[in-house]
Amino acid sequence: MRISTSMIFAAGVADINRQMADTVKLQQQIAAKKRIINPSDDPVAAAQALQVQQAKDTNDQYATNIKYANSALGLESGYLSNVNDVFGRLKELVVQAGDGTLTPSQRSGIAVELRARFDGLLAIANSKDASGQYIFSGYMGDTTPFTGTVDTGVKYQGDDGQRQLQISASHLIATSDSGQEVFGRIPNGNGTFSATYGSNLALPPPFPLPAPPLPPNIGTGSVGGTTVTDPAVWKAPTSGSYSIQFSVSGGVTTYQIYDGATPLLATPGAYTSGQSIELQKTTAPAVDFGASVTVTGTPANGDTFVVSPSTSQSLFATLANLIHAVEGTGTTAADVARYQTDVKNAGIDLENARVNIVQADAALGGRMNEVDTVSSINSSVDLQYQQTLSNLQDLDMVKALTDLTSKQTQLDAAQKSFVSTSKLSLFNYL
Amino acid sequence: MSTLNIGVSGLNAASIGLATTSHNIANASTPGYNRQVIVQATNTPVLTGSGFIGQGTNVETVKRVYDQYLSQQVLTAQTGASEMDGYYQQISQIDNILGDSSAGLSSAMSDFFNGIQSVTSDPSSISARQSMLSTAQSLVARFQSLNGRMAEIRDGVNSQITSEAASISSYASQIADVNRQILLSQAGSPTQQPNDLLDQRDQLIADLNKEVQVSTVTQSDGTMSVFFGNGQPLVVGTDAYSLTSGPAASDSGKIVVKLKAPGGTTMEIPESQITGGTLGGLISFRNDSLDSAQNALGRIAISLTQTFNAQHELGQDLTGALGGAFFSVGNPAVLASSLNSTPALPALPASISASFSASAASQLTTSDYRLSYSGGTYTLTRLSDNQSWTGGSAAAVATAANQGFDLSLTGTIANGDSFKIEPTRTGASSISVAITDARNIAAAAPMTTAAALANTGTGSISAGAVTSVANLPVVGTPITLTYSSATGSFSGFPVGSTVSVTPQGGTATLYTIAAATDPVTYVTGATISFNGMSVVISGSPSDKDKFVIQRNVNGVSDNRNAVALGALQAAHTMAGGTASYVDAYAQLVSDIGNKTREVKALGASQQALADSAVATQQSMSGVNLDEEGANLIRYQQAYQASAKMIDIASKLFDSILALG
Repeated sequence: MRISTSMIFAAGVADINRQMADTVKLQQQIAAKKRIINPSDDPVAAAQALQVQQAKDTNDQYATNIKYANSALGLESGYLSNVNDVFGRLKELVVQAGDGTLTPSQRSGIAVELRARFDGLLAIANSKDASGQYIFSGYMGDTTPFTGTVDTGVKYQGDDGQRQLQISASHLIATSDSGQEVFGRIPNGNGTFSATYGSNLALPPPFPLPAPPLPPNIGTGSVGGTTVTDPAVWKAPTSGSYSIQFSVSGGVTTYQIYDGATPLLATPGAYTSGQSIELQKTTAPAVDFGASVTVTGTPANGDTFVVSPSTSQSLFATLANLIHAVEGTGTTAADVARYQTDVKNAGIDLENARVNIVQADAALGGRMNEVDTVSSINSSVDLQYQQTLSNLQDLDMVKALTDLTSKQTQLDAAQKSFVSTSKLSLFNYL
Repeated sequence: MSTLNIGVSGLNAASIGLATTSHNIANASTPGYNRQVIVQATNTPVLTGSGFIGQGTNVETVKRVYDQYLSQQVLTAQTGASEMDGYYQQISQIDNILGDSSAGLSSAMSDFFNGIQSVTSDPSSISARQSMLSTAQSLVARFQSLNGRMAEIRDGVNSQITSEAASISSYASQIADVNRQILLSQAGSPTQQPNDLLDQRDQLIADLNKEVQVSTVTQSDGTMSVFFGNGQPLVVGTDAYSLTSGPAASDSGKIVVKLKAPGGTTMEIPESQITGGTLGGLISFRNDSLDSAQNALGRIAISLTQTFNAQHELGQDLTGALGGAFFSVGNPAVLASSLNSTPALPALPASISASFSASAASQLTTSDYRLSYSGGTYTLTRLSDNQSWTGGSAAAVATAANQGFDLSLTGTIANGDSFKIEPTRTGASSISVAITDARNIAAAAPMTTAAALANTGTGSISAGAVTSVANLPVVGTPITLTYSSATGSFSGFPVGSTVSVTPQGGTATLYTIAAATDPVTYVTGATISFNGMSVVISGSPSDKDKFVIQRNVNGVSDNRNAVALGALQAAHTMAGGTASYVDAYAQLVSDIGNKTREVKALGASQQALADSAVATQQSMSGVNLDEEGANLIRYQQAYQASAKMIDIASKLFDSILALG
């Protein structure tokens, strides 16, 4: 084939250019330690890498959220165990206060400590997190959740909101509990109903009750154990509460159960101290309410006891009731009987509150476990993303360096051969 | 005497040979030069008694070594290679922008959503909110800088088209000039070829062909006419047409090529007819890649604005007010064709405006559209695939097309009027953050729920979700739902509302509330929706148990809406509900990457083709200096031999003279 002189130059230069471009590309890749410098190097992998990178960034953010969640849950759990510690002491105080032989001054000593404990619990319920938000106020982080005192009553000012954090693509975790749930929404009594003393009323009790003040019970009867034998048949009173009224006639004490103004017993029951009184309707049609209460002592004629369905009673209301009872100064046998009912009920309600808080703490523990599980998944997912990204983008260094060396050799050869080819000329000999 | 004459003829021939060889050597590196050779022949012999006696030699012509077929091959391959090269020069710029992961959109998008997560972790913190705002600002800035780079590239393409038009015109007039010279030079000696002029013209055509693909026809008078596109004349004989550039009739921001006839009338050349060469590459880059890349970026900005705002407006900010727009973005651009008729006063010319359709936000495409009107029918054409819709009004046709934008038209439209609609072109340049006060980030949901404390049952109510803020309860006027065990239903729903109760995996039951006492049957775990709010009540409520739904007041630690905003990152809100924001961006990156790769590969193969055609052509027509060196010696020796002949003839003559 005939060769023109310009071809020798053009072909030589084009070859060297090509080799040079390849070498520079390899050099860029090696310098960046990346296989893909521009999307056009591998469009599919470049697009995939963007998506994986985004997923990895999001996952990193979830890891941050997990830290937040852990610290929020840990903080709340710490406060709840503080509350639990206070309960130990409260229980002792209730036992002490339950001693009927205490003098008013001894009781007032207990009352002083109870008030201090009350303030301590209120402070815990109003505690803040690291960023100055109230922990137990639901969504209303700037609002003091519990305001008031023993005497005015403590009111919840927050809402029922539960703050949540996203800790994985599919997982929202609650990082707070509202004060209402922890300290407020605690069923009183046995969870189905509660029993306490009523007033000394005419026979049969007027319905609805006249405006207070009503005369207190005169007898020494106090209401104690309440039992639900069959929750399935428990029937709430249609009037809001049952009243058990005692009548003493000729030395014989009997009782009648009323739902509002309606007597429920066909014949009044005979009273024996300490024997349980079945809550039932014996007038036709007879209905067993599946529950009983126990009255001890000697009720006077017209004394009533009230059985109401359980309702929510906050820890602070329970404590305030206890404090008011302990601070009572009455010394008559009837006062003592009422006092003992109050202390006994306070004991029951405090235990309810303790159980509620333990449950909240257990739920917190459960959520912390959940966070831990998600956290370990999060780290392994992160590793996978990293691996995928590395597979998509990273350069095989060994191969790249080998390629570079071979390219250099080729370039070198191209340059040398070009020089020697271009030197060949007939004019050298003319 | 014949020896002398023969010697002189040989001397002349060798001298022409030497001149031609020197010309070849001198032009060895002249672009487009084809080597020339002399065509030497014997003179007519003289018949004598002794037979035909040779009369020496003459040079019939100097011809160039040229093959029409090979040259055409070079032209075809070269115009393809130039087109791909022109395309590649432009698209590789976008490829580079998108390749830089720190300058790309996805890192800014990640940062922004991480900013939202910080607000989620600590919704009442002003500093977390401030950082979300600044990540939003950076995201917007990223959109604008990416778009700015693309706008620069577009400006570059526009000005390059202008200079292409100028250089094509200049080539055309040079070719016409050479045609004229060829015509003149051939007038004297029609049988001799003006080799160097022909080379010059071929080179001009090769250069022109690198700018735009042309076809040529050689006329009988030796001139060559040049056409491009769909047979548009560029050079006819000695007349040159010129190309100018200017805004397109349909889009004043787009510079297109116009043909200017010698008479002075200009005509816009349809872009589809311009192929090959750098100009062809620029035009197909603009139509196939730049428009769609800029639109794709704009579409992400618009979708982000629409979906993010929609969720943000369902929330409540730190001050207790309902969320407003978080981002803002400009409306679709509508460009009236400059050819539209102007109606006689007082009728107003048709003016059309477009807006994004909130309900069809995910249907936006990256295409541009054309709305045209003819005989009472409006036709909307999607320019990417020429899919079209027709309707009786602009609004109706936009609704029928369901492409994510609405149209409304005022004024008088005439037959043949048309408008170009660019829904997404300006999205990435016009996006901005509409909020300046960090407290206005709507991280909270505007409603809260609660079970009344006095409830004796085990019923519980979910935190609730908001789908519309139009009928939220008024602050201080909660909606209280009261359970009745006798009827197993709730009452207390707002009068006039429609309540839908949807059990899990079941179908909805609808209740129209005419009075507050109207009962809605309770189904445990069912979703109860009314007035744009939905809650789930589960468990066993007791008689007279109450559940309260009310406006969220002081809910500074509520992050429900921030969580919902964060969820948008992975939500498939684009491309008809098939892609998230980053998916759409990844698609843009992969589209550009693939196209760049394709153009690069095509360019390389076209270049290889061109190179091999050039090599073949050069192998025939190129100058080889060694060959010319040999020729030099050959002609030198021939010259010396002829001179010797003259010397001998002279000596012979002298010896004759010596006789006397």
